[in-house]
Amino acid sequence: MTSRARWAGVLRTPVGAAAAVLLGAVLLLAVLAPLLWGGRADEVDTAHILAPASAEHWAGTDNLGRDIFFRVLVATRTSVRLALLATAVGVAVGLLLGTLPLLLGPRLGRLVTAAVNIAVAFPGLLLALSFAVIFGAGASGAVPAIGLAIAPAFARLTQTLAASVAGRDFVAAARIAGVGRVRVLLRHVLPNIAEPLLVNATMAAGGSLLAFAGLSFLGLGVQAPDYDWGRLLGEGLNGIYLNPAAALVPGVAVVLAGLAFNLVGEAAAKAVGPRTATAGGRKRATDDARPTPTPTPTPTTAVPVRPQQSAQADALLIVEDLKVSFGPVTPVRGVGFTLGRGEAVGIVGESGSGKSLTALAVAQLIERPGRIEARRLELLGDDLLRTPPRARPRLLGTSLAMVFQDPMTSFNPVQRVGRQLAEVAEQHLGHRRGPALARAVDRLRAVRIPGAARRARQFPHEFSGGMRQRAMIGMGLMGEPKLIIADEPTTALDVTVQRQVLALLADVRAADDVAVLLISHDLGVVEQVCDRVLVMYAGRIVEDLPVARLRDGARHPYTRALLGAVPDLATDRDQPLVVIPGRPADPAAPTPGCAFAPRCPLADDHCKRADPALIEDGSGGRVACWHAEQRPEPAPAAATEGEGR
Amino acid sequence: MSELTFEDVTVRYGSGRREMTAVDRVHLTVPSGAVVGLVGESGSGKSTLARAAVGLTPVAGGRILLDGRPLPRGGRRPLQMVFQDPYSSLDPRMTIGSSIAEAIPRGAVPGAAARRDEVARLLDLVDLPADRAGCHPAELSGGQRQRVALARALAGRPDVVIADEITSALDVSIQGTVLNLVRDLHRELRLSMLFITHDLAVVRYVSDYIAVMYLGRIVEYGPAESVLADPRHPYTGELLAAARRGGPQAADTVPASVADAEPADPHHPPTGCRFHPRCPVGPLVHPDRTVCRDTAPTGDGRPHRAACHFVSSAADPAAA
Repeated sequence: MTSRARWAGVLRTPVGAAAAVLLGAVLLLAVLAPLLWGGRADEVDTAHILAPASAEHWAGTDNLGRDIFFRVLVATRTSVRLALLATAVGVAVGLLLGTLPLLLGPRLGRLVTAAVNIAVAFPGLLLALSFAVIFGAGASGAVPAIGLAIAPAFARLTQTLAASVAGRDFVAAARIAGVGRVRVLLRHVLPNIAEPLLVNATMAAGGSLLAFAGLSFLGLGVQAPDYDWGRLLGEGLNGIYLNPAAALVPGVAVVLAGLAFNLVGEAAAKAVGPRTATAGGRKRATDDARPTPTPTPTPTTAVPVRPQQSAQADALLIVEDLKVSFGPVTPVRGVGFTLGRGEAVGIVGESGSGKSLTALAVAQLIERPGRIEARRLELLGDDLLRTPPRARPRLLGTSLAMVFQDPMTSFNPVQRVGRQLAEVAEQHLGHRRGPALARAVDRLRAVRIPGAARRARQFPHEFSGGMRQRAMIGMGLMGEPKLIIADEPTTALDVTVQRQVLALLADVRAADDVAVLLISHDLGVVEQVCDRVLVMYAGRIVEDLPVARLRDGARHPYTRALLGAVPDLATDRDQPLVVIPGRPADPAAPTPGCAFAPRCPLADDHCKRADPALIEDGSGGRVACWHAEQRPEPAPAAATEGEGR
Repeated sequence: MSELTFEDVTVRYGSGRREMTAVDRVHLTVPSGAVVGLVGESGSGKSTLARAAVGLTPVAGGRILLDGRPLPRGGRRPLQMVFQDPYSSLDPRMTIGSSIAEAIPRGAVPGAAARRDEVARLLDLVDLPADRAGCHPAELSGGQRQRVALARALAGRPDVVIADEITSALDVSIQGTVLNLVRDLHRELRLSMLFITHDLAVVRYVSDYIAVMYLGRIVEYGPAESVLADPRHPYTGELLAAARRGGPQAADTVPASVADAEPADPHHPPTGCRFHPRCPVGPLVHPDRTVCRDTAPTGDGRPHRAACHFVSSAADPAAA
């Protein structure tokens, strides 16, 4: 979404529209009122001194018989002008203080930061009052007083925002390129923090309007014969029992104008907010479109497995025509496969191919607004789609364990690891506390965690990444799972640790005849653990083949390209790597034909029109390609231009 | 082109009790016109070494030399760096053309038109059409952004380019493009390059020399073929075993006590040889080899050196 479209969107919301209209009215009044009604506001009418509200004088008159209503309208200019002026002073000083640490470097910068932190601790109005006393009563004293009172908070905000931008790689790159500190600040830092600063400045304007009214009310602000809302309020208050309107009208004006600024700030914050949080958002290769944080299903064996008499008697998991959609976008478009008992199947594909969503759908972890549809989705003969939601945790808990990419986020950071494992046994197996903990220690030992009893008493952060991932697998083994779904279990780990975790998965599988569904972007990882590979592209399975045939029997051009695109220890160093031209398919814009056609060296017109079905090839594999019989000559590596042009 | 030398370089983070030596007395040479691949796992200090070289992190000891002279402070930077994450290394508010133009040394290309031409030339060098100069990073794919980042590094007319995990944030189908480009650029421009990665297969593909880093120290250095064919340090052997794709692992040959050993904590590095708590030829397996616990091994001066007390025997398990 472009920033213009976002602002337009905000204007269409009730708050945004009301705020814009209100602020527009206030500003218009500030410009026009003195021109239109300046004369009437200053017109002295000794015949009607201190008159109450009437049809002629809507808010009554003051002690010289001047019309209070018109005086309030005319005072808009002074009030708004002084408030804006004070805000400008505050923002300028705040910006300067906030950006000084960047300009001065770390050592002097720390001093400035400390000074600002101390200043922030003083209440703003108190600062304004004492400054007003120092600078002397009057507008020229009150403006810098309020400005300086705003400055610390603004400086702090600027510092925080600037520090976060300054830590990003593009600033480091500019510094390496020899760009000076001032230029880095002006070209890279300020433009990237401007939006939230503007929002805050708008809010600060509302605040300083109120503060100014307060100072004038106390007699420290605008002095006679000038007047602003605060002064009018003060004067009106003296006669509040005779003429309440004289105090109410300026009061209402202050409230409305303050509201106008603050609402505009709020609305702008909405427009800016989401993006500043993820500005230039990181996108990781392995970061499939995953719904909100998902709870980990906990495995147990409370419900005995019901024997099913069917053709696929040994099928553990049957998936047919699985679709996952988020609104109009369908990232998984008709995936079907079966998983036998004790079988290890890998799903490989690039980010956005739908591999993680497929796994999450099987585990029933797709959350709203995501929707799962399937012709069949059966685990151990139980239909997952028609199981009432209440029974699902038990059903899944009986047979399924899940291992996620980042083991840090899968554990509760404030609970001891052993306790978290034991909880599974308490919840699902009905164990008491003692035996549950004993089993937890036993399981930690089973996943080869040295000193399991001691480790069980530790917190997740005391575990290294590889150890946490092992503990996660251990948690899956608290019951007797029939299926372990591992979603990029080793991507966050170092290669040597990765090997340990994969070996552990293989051991667990061999020891208990557990089936494994391993999601990975790395063919090497899948080759190590699995019997069979499902290759996914753009939400479909494009090839399904035994691992043994992967290297020389792959028939889909995408599978072959994936194999060639990643160097291994046998890659010919004198040949360029195979390159898949073009961009990965966009799930939001599906094409009628084969999704891989735009990047495929074999594609013809037929491929662009018709999507090939996934067909058995008679030798234990399936492939979805019109040209599966065709073997291209070793991919012409010169086809590297595609991505750029 | 120039030779980049790290001489006894130490980098520390934090202070007092939280002090950590991320890079510990590292000697490393990037010969003129060669690509040196630096491998190691996370926390081994390889990125810190890179950041120290380009001046983003202060050096606590030792010297970094370019052709035997200390790096100049200020002015033109002879070292340029390409970062891991192309989504954060380009300013989202700037067009890629101005990002690249910014890195062109002042005075090198006078005149706005000449700078535009230079940007077009650089874009062409990384296989991007010149009319993309007006694009913002958001309009480009990850692979394209990484190529822009390479173009920006080249704009500084560097003597040495440092590439820090430049493919690991990219999708597999795009990694190949970037690696091919790195090789082509190296051939065309004879760039000296320090190529940092955790993937031995990638390093093997682009590098002339390989340096292996473990817990802040270089444990092995040598010509790429030699290191890969005949790893002298047991840690290199372990990395190679992990990188060997396809088929089940030969992990069984390693004793379980070694296979399950935890990576050491960089805040409390082990004494002596830092690899000894995980080493398959160290005191864990051969209790009499106490020297590993007590004395830090040093690599000798040969072209292919390994910092291990039992270099010759280290090669055996890897060969088996």
